[in-house]
Amino acid sequence: MLGSFEYRDPRTIAEACRLLAGEDSACLLAGGTDLFIELRAGWQNPELLIDIKGIDALGELRTEEDGTLSIGAAVPLDAIARSPVASGPWVALREAALSIGTQQLRHRATLAGNLCNGSPAADTAPVLLTLGAYVMAASLETSRQIDLANFFTGVKRTALRNDEMICEVRIPPQPPGLRTAFLKQQRVRGHDLAVVNVAGALDPSSGDLRVAIGSCSPTPILLPSINAAGVSPTALSALAIESALDHVSPIDDVRASAGYRKAVLETLIDRLIARLVSPEGGA
Amino acid sequence: MTRPLKVVGQPIGRADAIDKVTGNARYVHDWSEPGMLHAALVLSPHAAARIVGIDSDAARRIPGVRAILTGEDLDVLLGLYMQDKRILARGVVRHQGEAVVAVAADNLDIARQACNEIEVTYDPIEPVLDPAVALRPDAPLVHPDLDSYEHMRGVFFPEPGTNIAHHQKIRKGDFDSAFASADLRLTLTFDNPPVQHVPMETHAAIGKAHPEGRAEIWTSSQSPYTVRHLLSACFGLSHGDVRVHVPYVGGGFGGKAGLGLEPLVYVLSRAATGRPVKLVATREQEFNTLPSRQGLHSTIELGASRDGKLTAFKATYHWDAGAYADYGVNIGRAAAYAGAGPYSIDNCWIDSQVIYTNKVFGTAFRGFGHLEVLWGVERAIDQMAHQLGMDPADFRRLNLLKDGDITITGEAFTSGHGDPTGCLDAVARAIDWATPSTPSENPDLVRGKGLAMLHKAPAMPTYTSCSTIIKLDEDGGADVLISGVDYGQGTYTVLRQIAAEELRIPIERVRITWECDTAFSPYDWQTVASRFAYMGGNAIIEAAADCLRQVRVVASKVFGVPVDRIVCANGQASVADAPEKRLSYAQLALGYTYENGNSIGGPVIGHGRFIAQGLTHLDPKTGQGRPAQYWTYGAHAVEIEVDTRTGELRVCKIASALDAGKVLNPKLVVGQVVGGVVQGLGSALWEGFRFDKQGRLLNPSFVDYKIPTAKDIPDRMEQIFLETPQPGGPYGARGVAEHPMISVPSAIGNALTDALGIEFHTLPLTPERILLAIRSHEEGTA
Amino acid sequence: MRRITLTVNGHPEMADVPDGMTLLEFLRDRLVLTGAKEGCGIGECGACTVLVNGRAIASCLMLAVEADGCEVQTVEGETEDGKLSVLQQAFIDAGAVQCGFCTPGMIMSARGLLLQTLDPTDEEIVEAVAGNLCRCTGYEAIIAAIRSAADTLREGSGS
Repeated sequence: MLGSFEYRDPRTIAEACRLLAGEDSACLLAGGTDLFIELRAGWQNPELLIDIKGIDALGELRTEEDGTLSIGAAVPLDAIARSPVASGPWVALREAALSIGTQQLRHRATLAGNLCNGSPAADTAPVLLTLGAYVMAASLETSRQIDLANFFTGVKRTALRNDEMICEVRIPPQPPGLRTAFLKQQRVRGHDLAVVNVAGALDPSSGDLRVAIGSCSPTPILLPSINAAGVSPTALSALAIESALDHVSPIDDVRASAGYRKAVLETLIDRLIARLVSPEGGA
Repeated sequence: MTRPLKVVGQPIGRADAIDKVTGNARYVHDWSEPGMLHAALVLSPHAAARIVGIDSDAARRIPGVRAILTGEDLDVLLGLYMQDKRILARGVVRHQGEAVVAVAADNLDIARQACNEIEVTYDPIEPVLDPAVALRPDAPLVHPDLDSYEHMRGVFFPEPGTNIAHHQKIRKGDFDSAFASADLRLTLTFDNPPVQHVPMETHAAIGKAHPEGRAEIWTSSQSPYTVRHLLSACFGLSHGDVRVHVPYVGGGFGGKAGLGLEPLVYVLSRAATGRPVKLVATREQEFNTLPSRQGLHSTIELGASRDGKLTAFKATYHWDAGAYADYGVNIGRAAAYAGAGPYSIDNCWIDSQVIYTNKVFGTAFRGFGHLEVLWGVERAIDQMAHQLGMDPADFRRLNLLKDGDITITGEAFTSGHGDPTGCLDAVARAIDWATPSTPSENPDLVRGKGLAMLHKAPAMPTYTSCSTIIKLDEDGGADVLISGVDYGQGTYTVLRQIAAEELRIPIERVRITWECDTAFSPYDWQTVASRFAYMGGNAIIEAAADCLRQVRVVASKVFGVPVDRIVCANGQASVADAPEKRLSYAQLALGYTYENGNSIGGPVIGHGRFIAQGLTHLDPKTGQGRPAQYWTYGAHAVEIEVDTRTGELRVCKIASALDAGKVLNPKLVVGQVVGGVVQGLGSALWEGFRFDKQGRLLNPSFVDYKIPTAKDIPDRMEQIFLETPQPGGPYGARGVAEHPMISVPSAIGNALTDALGIEFHTLPLTPERILLAIRSHEEGTA
Repeated sequence: MRRITLTVNGHPEMADVPDGMTLLEFLRDRLVLTGAKEGCGIGECGACTVLVNGRAIASCLMLAVEADGCEVQTVEGETEDGKLSVLQQAFIDAGAVQCGFCTPGMIMSARGLLLQTLDPTDEEIVEAVAGNLCRCTGYEAIIAAIRSAADTLREGSGS
């Protein structure tokens, strides 16, 4: 058994929020691929598990009329990766989703779950940061929008309150012709957590370049925007690397040393830029 | 054997595959016995500590808890070659992850809940974590009572008052003067971390204590008779009162040899009024509590003459045995007598020391120390070749053992041993060794080629034996009883082929009873050491001959001719030159009945056995003796590609050659080689335990202990088999099960030198290690 | 406790299960379908892979109550009327089975792929089983088995 909790599967967001408000030690269940590991290890021992997969509104993946991409909290990563919406400016999102875990895990794990877990290595986070994504959070009394740039507050800590749940992740409309890319360094070619991951979004018309980095700081980090207009790829790479090294604070851990992370970060940023500026790169 | 073979040598599929693809195969994980309880463990959080007190009162009160045991309840020492282990830690804990308390309860949740309620008070001691530190005269002793431990005398030499569980010496010739007078000299050190077998089925056992002290065990094990023997010795039971069952086993790789969870489940059952108790290791316990492969720190000194002859070899092998060395002492021994590689060296000194530390302990692991030792040896050989300005393949050709050479233990090498040079030539050809790698179009990617030799003999006691019983059925088929274990390597299929061949019946008519049961299956030592096909095969040949002799005796009486005029073929016994006079085995399997009712003969049951021939102990001072029933030689050659900006390494191609003596089943042996190569790749590139400064294991799960997945395998793998017949081997075959893994890291390390001009001495060759080495090499040469 | 109704290998099942019971525990302990194995308990090894509504999932990381109303397929459902499926036979013929502990999970991951496409690319085959660890075979024969099964099924023979 994973625990002695009570399992509930509400049909509406309101019902889920009510359950969440009523029990301090309640946990939300989407894909369970992070949560169940914590329950098995005894790191969490909730009295109540609230399964959100029965809430229809949370299972939708759609592009809205203005170009906003809306990903419901219960949408599995596999669905995102397969969906035609995960193309064009969202291609990096597909790459990030596909880099997570295994086929079996991607059939269950969700984007919202990847964010709520709050790991600095969350593979979807750098991509979403470069795209200016935000989450819609609801509680019994409130609903609010949290920009992803403010979402991660520390290692495995997010801005979500105890009584709040994510309903959807929203990516605003992007400039036409936006190029995006995602790169991840692993220890093996098989499934692995990121030693370093990076995402980039380049708007060729304005020259606006955004780079985000994961696994090199307590949270995923969005670098300040760089203006790439008229800058050679080599110089752009150097600028991005300099900015990256200024803003990240990698540590030694069982997966990698800080020295390796810094070295690989340089390589990944260099390759990221090359992909974004090349005619075939990005979208 | 002049008759053309019908079945041996054919790519016969496994009969057990059907059970496995249907989910019908039951492993101990799947097994249950009526009234069965489930066990859970409390593990030590400390690498070294005195156990001050254990409070299990709250746990005892939980409904459904049937037994709680600690080391205080169990004053027993056990072990295979050295008895240095307790069933549960007693008085002290010697590694983080060691089992301290065991609980048996109605279900696993209750057992785990009870474990959470148990409070153990420890007084931590400073742990010894590095073998080099453990060797210092003032080092704390992991086993202060070493002098009181029973061990296999005359074979293993523990040094009481130290942390040395065994010291194996090889002294051939005069290393000191040969080294001093050598034209070129090299001194190098190498490191291998401990790794884990990672069988997909974790260790699991069920124990039942019957009345009057009888014990019954179901275990995922490679050695039912060793379990029986050690349990009987440990608990003072007669062998016949200990019954061990081994059903399907989900991988072993040496980790399930010897004694594992069996004593614990037995004593739990004894404490729980005889109800069966099942203990299944979690994956974390598999990494952190069950044994691993010892780490190794090597120092190798080589001397050579300018014309390319190896004249002097000295190695110091410091084995990081971990907390217990009951099996580890034999790895220290075996690695010493193989520890200079397959080369002819007149002056060879080796000191192989098995050293206790406060970490997870080592046991048998596929390759039995040879992968670890040859990491250093084959890397050193390459470096000497480079110093000499010689092609590494040519340098090896000059020095490989040939007819008439004497090995480092004083054995005369003959062509019957096998053809190491042939293996080298085969793999060199397969990767086009003479041609350097084609550079990649991508400037970030660099390619290189490397090769390495391997050799191994079965590391087993001089009295190792195997036996088998073959029963003929009334339909003319045959049942083979044997208690070696097929845990995936396919030996049962090979033995079926041999039985069919020798009995002269189609293979479909031969069954091997899958489950080992020491009540019914006759003795086999252990299924390790790549010895089962050899010894089991020989035993089956003898047993089949015994069956046919009985068949021929009865047939000769029926037909009134001398026994030597009866010929057996195609499941029938007939008179030579009068083939119309014939009887099928079916007509003879239970004896023969004349028309008038008179019956002669009886049920045909053949038995066969094989005991190791001509092995001797090694001289304690010089290591001279005859340790090897046979040697199997081989080689790997690889072409790799390195991303110089991430450190990632890709194996483009690996070619592996083994002198198998006789390929008994080409399909199975290819499977063994591919599997072994990929397991070797794991040791080469990714695997290794990481410990923190307090000796706690940092990667006890698949999250941070990575083994190869389907995405990680080489682009191309080629297998080449030489067949230099092994005298005494069944059809000339010798064992090849462990060998494919050995020297895979060595070949890759050698290829890295070719690709990058950097010498690597420490495994695993992770992207981090490679990239940081590239960076510092660039800084160094800038 | 909750009552669940679901289909397992085409058979309707109904059971009262504790909320905390995993799908793997339900299959193995309640239905005695021991093909799916626990290899790690954290979704890393794939030995517990079964199909839920046609998709391969790690049953150690799913609750039995989540399977209410679902169609579950396990390796025991591959055989029909005692006859091995094309996929099972392909595993045998290709030498893709050694110790066999990973085999049920491998077969279900493969079946999940073949339900999506009978003409998978090499990358798709590898991706389908990349989450199934095997320590014995080195994977080559497993990949070949799936390729062979796909080819046979595409040509229209068997299931």
